Amino acid sequence: MLFLLDYSTFLINGFIITVEVTLIGVGLGLILGILAALGDIFGGRIIKIIVNVYVEFFRGSPLIVQLFIFYFTIPMITGIRMDVMLTAILTLALNSGAYQKGYLKGAMEAVFKDQLMAALSLGLPTWKIFLYVVVPQALRIVIPAWSNELASMGKSTTALIVIGVREFLNTGISITAQTFRPLETYAFITIVYFIWIYSMLKALDMLYNKIKIPGLEPVI
Amino acid sequence: MTSILECRELMKAYGKVIAVNNVSLGIGRGETKVIFGPSGSGKSTLLRCLGLLEKPTKGSVYFNGVDVYVSKQDLNKLRARIGFVFQEPSLFRHLTALGNIMLGLKHVSGLSDAEARRKAYEALKLVRMEDWVNYYPAQLSGGQQQRVGIARAISMDPEVVLFDEPTAALDVELKWEVISVMKDLADRGTTMLVATHELRFAKEVADEMIFMDQGQVLEVGSPDHFFTSPNTERARKFMAKILG
Repeated sequence: MLFLLDYSTFLINGFIITVEVTLIGVGLGLILGILAALGDIFGGRIIKIIVNVYVEFFRGSPLIVQLFIFYFTIPMITGIRMDVMLTAILTLALNSGAYQKGYLKGAMEAVFKDQLMAALSLGLPTWKIFLYVVVPQALRIVIPAWSNELASMGKSTTALIVIGVREFLNTGISITAQTFRPLETYAFITIVYFIWIYSMLKALDMLYNKIKIPGLEPVI
Repeated sequence: MTSILECRELMKAYGKVIAVNNVSLGIGRGETKVIFGPSGSGKSTLLRCLGLLEKPTKGSVYFNGVDVYVSKQDLNKLRARIGFVFQEPSLFRHLTALGNIMLGLKHVSGLSDAEARRKAYEALKLVRMEDWVNYYPAQLSGGQQQRVGIARAISMDPEVVLFDEPTAALDVELKWEVISVMKDLADRGTTMLVATHELRFAKEVADEMIFMDQGQVLEVGSPDHFFTSPNTERARKFMAKILG
């Protein structure tokens, strides 16, 4: 595997891109997921329909197809082509947001109605109820499901290869094409993915244990 | 006596089901009134309307003589002046006993962290929960949770406190923990409107008892009146059933 040292800069850059798109994609997906969950819980009929069309589309179609649509189809229709990294992040965020909406909606609904009524009776306005009562409980409840999302998104970034993003797997493919040594290259790529994703899961596990509260365990 | 909180010809319907029908009552400063009646008689709905947690279908709610819905006052500000203790303790599960009380003090009353902490501690002391300040709701018994719920309501210095069957979900032993705290509050002159089946409590502290059935007030009178000679047959039967 020592020959890979010659490609270390190339590999590191690819790995940084993979980590970047994963974290930004999941982070933006969290914001989208929260908005979609709120829309589905509190929104009117039209908003609920929009949320459900969005969620069903992104959960019901392959990520690669979504990447093709955002990178090739939409620019053909609109005449506007986005940067490849921006397209990648946007698609991953929309995809992740659709999944996170499901976890978050369940977690928000797990904050029982009686607590919302109690908060209202104290005179808290709706936005403060959301900020100080719903979100702190929902986020704690959702962490285990959220770690699955992070692991899944980390692995899904390999699909970005179809629109030419120079992510980690893509660098491995390029190295293999130059060295004709797929066995060591892909073994190395696999090990790095495994260590990275395992570390993220462990970190989230530690975070969950640090902030968990008796009686506030996940119910979803 | 001028009422702090009052409703006139209040009606609340859920679709075709009328939960409260044409109820008028008021509570004056320092009074303790008890609403009692069979399950489904509309006690909780009436209290939620008076606590401004539900809007009546018809009729008016007055707070300090002002029609709440006609005057278009800020409901959140008014709610903060009306304490509410629920049937279930309804504590925020991510906060300790102290945190549950500090939340309203900080984010509604605008107290600093230190002030809110001091006031929350005092409220917990008043309900004899000062040794449990750092416990989460799941670590407390039902009676202890309910006492924290009472502390949370009174910590906001409300002008009136509404109790919606606060002992209904508790066993006999835990019930008396809560009732003794409520008796203390009544003795301190807290204005209280209490929906309860605890007639011993009513007899000891109520200035007036209100009997409800099928969404209506059937009879109003002193505890002595209800314990000796209720006017209506329905109230007589209910009293007999409760008192065994």
